[in-house]
Amino acid sequence: MKLELLFSGIGGQGVMRLGEILCDAAIKAGYLVTFSPFYGQEKRGGRTMCNIVISDEMESPIISEAQVMLIFDERSLTEYEHLLDPAGTLILNSSMIEKEPTAPCAQIDKVPFYDLAQKIGNTKTANMIALGYVLKYLPAIDYGVVEEEVKKTFAAKAKLIPLNVEALHTGYTYRA
Amino acid sequence: MGERVFMQGNEAMAESAIRAGCKLFFGYPITPSSEVPEYYAKVMRERPEENIMFIQGETETSVFNMIAGAVAAGHRAMTATSGPGFSLGQEAMSYMSAASLPAVIVEVMRPGPADGEILAAQGDYFQATRGGGHGDYNNLVLAPYSVQELCELMQESFDLAEKYHNPVVLLSDAMLAKLRESVELPGYVENEPKPEEKWRTLTGADGRDPHIITTCGRGAIQWERFNLDLQEKFRKIAENEVRYETYNLEDADIVLVAFGCFSRVCISAMKMAREEGMKVGMIRPISLWPFPEEAFRGLDGKKFLVCELNAGQMVQDVKLSVDNKNDVTFYGRLGGQVPTPKEILGEIRKLR
Repeated sequence: MKLELLFSGIGGQGVMRLGEILCDAAIKAGYLVTFSPFYGQEKRGGRTMCNIVISDEMESPIISEAQVMLIFDERSLTEYEHLLDPAGTLILNSSMIEKEPTAPCAQIDKVPFYDLAQKIGNTKTANMIALGYVLKYLPAIDYGVVEEEVKKTFAAKAKLIPLNVEALHTGYTYRA
Repeated sequence: MGERVFMQGNEAMAESAIRAGCKLFFGYPITPSSEVPEYYAKVMRERPEENIMFIQGETETSVFNMIAGAVAAGHRAMTATSGPGFSLGQEAMSYMSAASLPAVIVEVMRPGPADGEILAAQGDYFQATRGGGHGDYNNLVLAPYSVQELCELMQESFDLAEKYHNPVVLLSDAMLAKLRESVELPGYVENEPKPEEKWRTLTGADGRDPHIITTCGRGAIQWERFNLDLQEKFRKIAENEVRYETYNLEDADIVLVAFGCFSRVCISAMKMAREEGMKVGMIRPISLWPFPEEAFRGLDGKKFLVCELNAGQMVQDVKLSVDNKNDVTFYGRLGGQVPTPKEILGEIRKLR
């Protein structure tokens, strides 16, 4: 098994955190996992992208084609859509993206992550909603394990745990 | 071995150095190496019982000279830096090799020349393997490809530096430094330097002759003899410390050659090429100096594709190692661009 993922957005949207939580869960499932972050020199507001590879044996941490690509903003779409697997899935944050993708792709899901986050009361949870949504395409990763990892991530701010677990569930059960 | 964790290259490496008994870290922050001084600074505060000392120098020039002083006094000491900082340290590198001081330097490559960029690159291959500073000297240069190997070679670097009394350069890059992956952290090792007491300057000269660490010549006759002794040291390193891995060479028509974390992109490309029926193998030099010439013996007739994140530096060593240099082709990217496995596959197809 070899699964290549690419997540990208603007610094501060929590895309890296989302990726790291997914990696922790994939390791618990027994896979080899690499997380390669790419970011610019800006402290805030720059592009943040990560390549994640989940595999049975050692592979390149740099992906060839993303089977699942999660894009949070338009510039990320322009920059990385050429790395889409034509048989893969593109998940677009439709709260911020109006542009249509041009690269061939079997499945395009538009999900308004920020609108959904606002509905549950905190736009900062958009990344957890996205994580929940991505999991629909990753049957090898157990939802319950990810939920535990989310709880662990917010252990230092325990009052935020229920909100983020709700966000994860909101994404997981959303139908695009 | 210690516990299994999901950890960033820089941080896992720093923890491994601490567990190798390197309690002194001199540094000046520079991306993409800054997590290493940060880690040392954090451990110095949070684990006071380990007696860690981190000092931020005013420049890398002073940092490298602090290391010279610390290792001359018998302590394990290191720094981690990147391109411009490594350049500033070169005068001290030449000095430490000549003075036979067992310094350990982590060079986390980023794209140059000059300030350049903060992404992944391998453009400091020449600087690391050809000495980098002035005069006839060599660094022992090791280039790991995974966070696991990075941690293991980090610990071994201290032993090697002390065994040969020579600087060891652990050559990382922005890709490996920032990469998070599963790693079994090496355990704590004997934290006293193993080598001869000779280098303990702080024990005083009671009952023994003074140790004179000097690199200043006294005429051509003496200085040639001094240099010949140095060359004997480098000859021993070259004889004993060649390291590499080979993959699928037995039936290969095309042999990829790549080092460091980028070699993993080539490993994936090799697998993809094999799935297409192309007989592709690979040589991965781990010691860049001494370069593993022996890995290329008996491979006459095969085509070699050298892949690097620079304009073609290791390719020169490959050409010196093969029977027919016309069999060697090169593919490289610059500026922080890292090709995907699929792009390397495209380069392999051109050789079919």
